Amino acid sequence: MNRRTRARLLLLEAVAIVCALLILIPFFMILVNSFKDIRESALFGLSLPSGKWQFGNYKDVYEQANILRGFKNSFLISGLVVVCVNLCASMAAFVIQRRDDRTMKTVFYAFIVGLIVPVSIVPTIRLMDLLHIQGTYLSIVMYYTAVLLPFSVFLLVGFMRAIPRELDEAALLEGCGYFRLYWRIVLPLLTTVLVTVTIVVVVSVWNDFFGPFYLVTDSRKWTIVLQIFNFVTLYSTNWGVVFAFMVIVVSPVLIVYLLLQRYIIDGLTAGSVKG
Amino acid sequence: MDSRKYPLYFSFPALLVFLLFFIAPTLVGVYYSFTDWNVHAQSVHWIGLDNYAALFREPRLEKALTNTLVFAASVTVLQNVIGIALALVLNEKLKLRNVLRLVFFMPYVIAPVVIGYVFRAIYHPDHGIVNRALRELGLGALAQDWLNDPKWALFSVIATDLWRVSGFAMVVYLAGLQFIPKDLTECAAIDGASYWSRFRRIVFPLLAPSFTVNVLLSLIGSMKVFEMVMVLTNGGPGYTTDVFYTYIRSTFSMGQMGYSTAINLVLFVLVTAVGVPVLMLMKKREVDL
Repeated sequence: MNRRTRARLLLLEAVAIVCALLILIPFFMILVNSFKDIRESALFGLSLPSGKWQFGNYKDVYEQANILRGFKNSFLISGLVVVCVNLCASMAAFVIQRRDDRTMKTVFYAFIVGLIVPVSIVPTIRLMDLLHIQGTYLSIVMYYTAVLLPFSVFLLVGFMRAIPRELDEAALLEGCGYFRLYWRIVLPLLTTVLVTVTIVVVVSVWNDFFGPFYLVTDSRKWTIVLQIFNFVTLYSTNWGVVFAFMVIVVSPVLIVYLLLQRYIIDGLTAGSVKG
Repeated sequence: MDSRKYPLYFSFPALLVFLLFFIAPTLVGVYYSFTDWNVHAQSVHWIGLDNYAALFREPRLEKALTNTLVFAASVTVLQNVIGIALALVLNEKLKLRNVLRLVFFMPYVIAPVVIGYVFRAIYHPDHGIVNRALRELGLGALAQDWLNDPKWALFSVIATDLWRVSGFAMVVYLAGLQFIPKDLTECAAIDGASYWSRFRRIVFPLLAPSFTVNVLLSLIGSMKVFEMVMVLTNGGPGYTTDVFYTYIRSTFSMGQMGYSTAINLVLFVLVTAVGVPVLMLMKKREVDL
């Protein structure tokens, strides 16, 4: 490498680091301010706490908000949606791609339309009411499954093409039924895509506010994101505690992100690149 | 082998959930948008086009429409410009390349609601770090009340969303760059092509698939923006940052269900009108490739 290219690379690296700081500073701001008292945290500064570190902020969050319940709800809802979406979408993608007739093409395009159009949220509430499931876990799980199915079907149909039909034929000749073919042969071969679907589902459901805001009125069923919204509305006078709550909400996500970075980045962008 | 032997009923669970919880509310919504459905009234009456007539007379719809379009257009254009720039830089042999990629994508996995609250603090007129940094740099005159000044509010919301989503575009472009053979650009460089002309004539055309996908995703996603606007400005000051979903929310909380369904339907038409042509274009290009 000659001198000029090296200088150019150094310059690019410096620019990139400055940009990265723009991303990191807000995260740092949440962290330091979560240890400040009510007066200092309201100044939103980037310096370390001038007085005593207020670890009590975290205790306050723990006592005033039922965070364990929030995490439990987020976890439960995301988990159920993961199961529903993976099962429904893979079964549908299996026959949509294999039959490939006019009916299935129509079904496929219907799902594609669902990829684009926005949900009509107020009639959805009404529908849940008519089905007598308004405000239940079932209603929110079904809502998310319906919203996330189009993307998952789209992605899975693309990957079904890569599984050779000869496999099906061999299995069927051996006397294997269609359900066993799907469960024992197709599904295991789709594992990598199912991981992608799972990541997309978890990230969307865990961070979503729109769905539970309209569909879950009972505070005992609130997800962690809905809890922080409500908490800020009630306690916005003490920013230190609010920042502590943010740390509690953000850190599990960041830890998982750092541990599974490759899968998460690949997973979230897979639909766009390979699809 | 006869492909028609694959049992249809495998698609039933997915279809049932999708039709019942996605398509049905949309269709039922068409009906309700022609009614006076209201939480305070006992019964629901068909009122024909009254909701739409009232809606199109309201200046607020025009505000929501313009803001949604300005927001979507700005985010789409800038997200792609920033995304390509970051991808090109991080495609070079930088020492911290992997760490930097990790950092730029990080905001994308955080809940928009949380990001909104943090930026409310960052934009604070007296203490927020934006204005503080400007004052430190001797540019105090540029300090603004970012979220409460009608001139700046929408801009600030757009900037916040860009902070969140640019890393996503970057990753999509980085993936696209992997498919471009190195010798192609190297040959051009030896032939004396400048960096800019190499980008314009070789790299960018080959990035076309990533580009269309990114444009489609950001256009559709940003027209459905809700949390970010609600937390940062809640549509204010006045209606200067009001978008469709904040408009729907406020009519919903006033109990005007039929009316808010009508607004939702206008958004539906808008997203379809923009999204479907872009999708067709994308499919056409797929065939060409």
